[in-house]
Amino acid sequence: MILELSDDALEYGRQARQAFDAAGGDELVLQAEKAPGARESLVGPVLAGLGAWELDPRSDADGVEAAAALCRAAGYWAVPYPLAERLAAPTDLDADGVIVVGGERPAAAVAGLDLRWATVDVAGNRAMVSGHGEIQPGFVTELELSSVDDAGSGDVALALTLPCWTLLGMLDRAIELTVAHVTLRKQFGQPLASFQGVQFQLTDAEVERSGLDILAKHALWSATGNRPDAIADALALRLAAIEAADVVFRVCHQLHGAVGFCDETTLSWLSRHSQPLRRLPFGLSATREELADVAGRRGLAGLFA
Amino acid sequence: MDFDMGKRAGDLRRELRELVAEHVPEHFLGAFTHDPADLETAQRFCRTLAERNLLCLAWPQEFGGGDASVWEQTVVREEMWAAHEPRGAQYMGVNWVGPIIMRHGSAEQQRRHLPPIAAGEVIWCQGFSEPEAGSDLASLRTFARPDKDGWLVSGQKIWTSYATMAQWCFLLARTSRIGEGATTKKQQGLTIFLVPMDDPAITVRPIGTMLGPHHLNEVFFDDLRVTEADVLGTVDAGWSIVQDVMSFERVGIARYARCERLLAAAPAVLGERWDELSDELRGRWIRMLMHCRRARLLAYRVVALQDSGRVTPGDAAAYRIAVTKLDQDSAEVLMDVAAEVRRTDARAGWFLGEVEDHWRYSQASTVSSGSIEMQRILLSRAMLAGRS
Repeated sequence: MILELSDDALEYGRQARQAFDAAGGDELVLQAEKAPGARESLVGPVLAGLGAWELDPRSDADGVEAAAALCRAAGYWAVPYPLAERLAAPTDLDADGVIVVGGERPAAAVAGLDLRWATVDVAGNRAMVSGHGEIQPGFVTELELSSVDDAGSGDVALALTLPCWTLLGMLDRAIELTVAHVTLRKQFGQPLASFQGVQFQLTDAEVERSGLDILAKHALWSATGNRPDAIADALALRLAAIEAADVVFRVCHQLHGAVGFCDETTLSWLSRHSQPLRRLPFGLSATREELADVAGRRGLAGLFA
Repeated sequence: MDFDMGKRAGDLRRELRELVAEHVPEHFLGAFTHDPADLETAQRFCRTLAERNLLCLAWPQEFGGGDASVWEQTVVREEMWAAHEPRGAQYMGVNWVGPIIMRHGSAEQQRRHLPPIAAGEVIWCQGFSEPEAGSDLASLRTFARPDKDGWLVSGQKIWTSYATMAQWCFLLARTSRIGEGATTKKQQGLTIFLVPMDDPAITVRPIGTMLGPHHLNEVFFDDLRVTEADVLGTVDAGWSIVQDVMSFERVGIARYARCERLLAAAPAVLGERWDELSDELRGRWIRMLMHCRRARLLAYRVVALQDSGRVTPGDAAAYRIAVTKLDQDSAEVLMDVAAEVRRTDARAGWFLGEVEDHWRYSQASTVSSGSIEMQRILLSRAMLAGRS
């Protein structure tokens, strides 16, 4: 059993975090909010410098671990770019990336970028994005699709899994910011961190974050090996990711108090930009339904199935 | 990364399942019921395991064990707990009493105690908790006062599992009061004694509970005479052994395995009607299987970190919080599923009995072996370490 990313992938993730920091860190998302069309010029050079487009996550075990570490680093800074979607690009379509879609009105956080997008649904139906609508909060835009084929079942697992790594990076940061805040902020003459009510809320968040961490690794392993349960494993990860994000951001906002909503506070931007990852391609209830359908009576592969 | 435990672990799992299927009745709900046959089943099963060198698989070879890998030990924990721990009270002797005696016991103590534990012939109980010392264990009051060439122990223990049937007690008592000699804080001046339960100075009083018989007892010590030969380790230095005992409990019982077994069995019990259940209930069921996986993988992470010497109290606490909450959450989902079972369904009796037992037992999971509040304190300390 090897339950951690390779040392190389971890080191790559550390370097990526430093590179995003050097490129502007928390300022990146603020600048992109002002000019969504500038996202490529803001983030593209950093990713190219990190060799992101030389990674081969679809066929290389080292590449997929590096891709996961990169997505986590991007999530930490709420990097305003659909990195996971680009890294999950299918190898047999002329597309820059792949977006998992679901529901009546497919949408994705790809506004302001001039890229060729493929889409795939959980059943493996693929399409190309032929147009999109108005820009919504979080760089989200509704997508017009032109059907391609139904041969995309092999694209689904990784395309569901990598965005969860981005969300995991956001949870890493949200908890880190909150621990720092409750340590500094004093009420009744003592740091918030000294109150057991505060400490116990932090543990609620950390249990969710650490559970998501290990499930993200499991789903990555499952997707890499093209295992028969890879899609169910990815949906299980997505379910855990949304649940974890709900708990973590609720706790982090609560412990930040009113300052956590302010534009000057990083948590508020992380929180806002976690939204597209949590509700697209489908939200909590729909993810659970998709998982129940895919897993069927057998449930998830485990000790007794 | 590789989440496959490997062939040896897989072979062991198959062997254990075959042994359980052959030697443990399907309706077995643990050794401690009102039916004496269940205790006999556990005793027989322990002998079967011992004959195959499976009872003490984790022990070093020099003490008659199998030098099993941490993953093989994990398989044993999972398979035994999923099958209602057919080793009965033996799991305690095998899992930590024996290993602790290996680490801290004298040659004479090892010679006397390890062979009967390895053979599955002896039951131990743990004399730790007291009416005024639960989570705050170091505040215990049971006192060993010096007398002639030893001590006389007086006091009361409570919540002591298996005390009615145990032959030996792993007893923690105060030997020096704060302010005496080198004892300046409550974690000092404590000593572990290994004492026989048939001493007339010991009285056991069972406590009736919703968990069934034998689980909880009071134990009274009235001038129990002990000597240097009964001391485990060093006088007044028992707290470090307690910490060592706790380290064996970091992973603890594999609660997720029984949760997963029952959840996985539910569709077959309901047959075709499973597909007629509401989307909401089937959604809760699949969500709970995800939480089983989450707890299991968190356990594996603690096992791997412990094996490499890098585990922290925070890692272990995060897992313990996840798994004890899983126990209760899954019990509630299973209760909901059980409400859909018809008495005429083929395995209705088995399933309903299992679910009722699981629900009762799960209520204690956030209380026993280190309450969830203690786990939260440990985890928050780890999160805030170095930031004050």
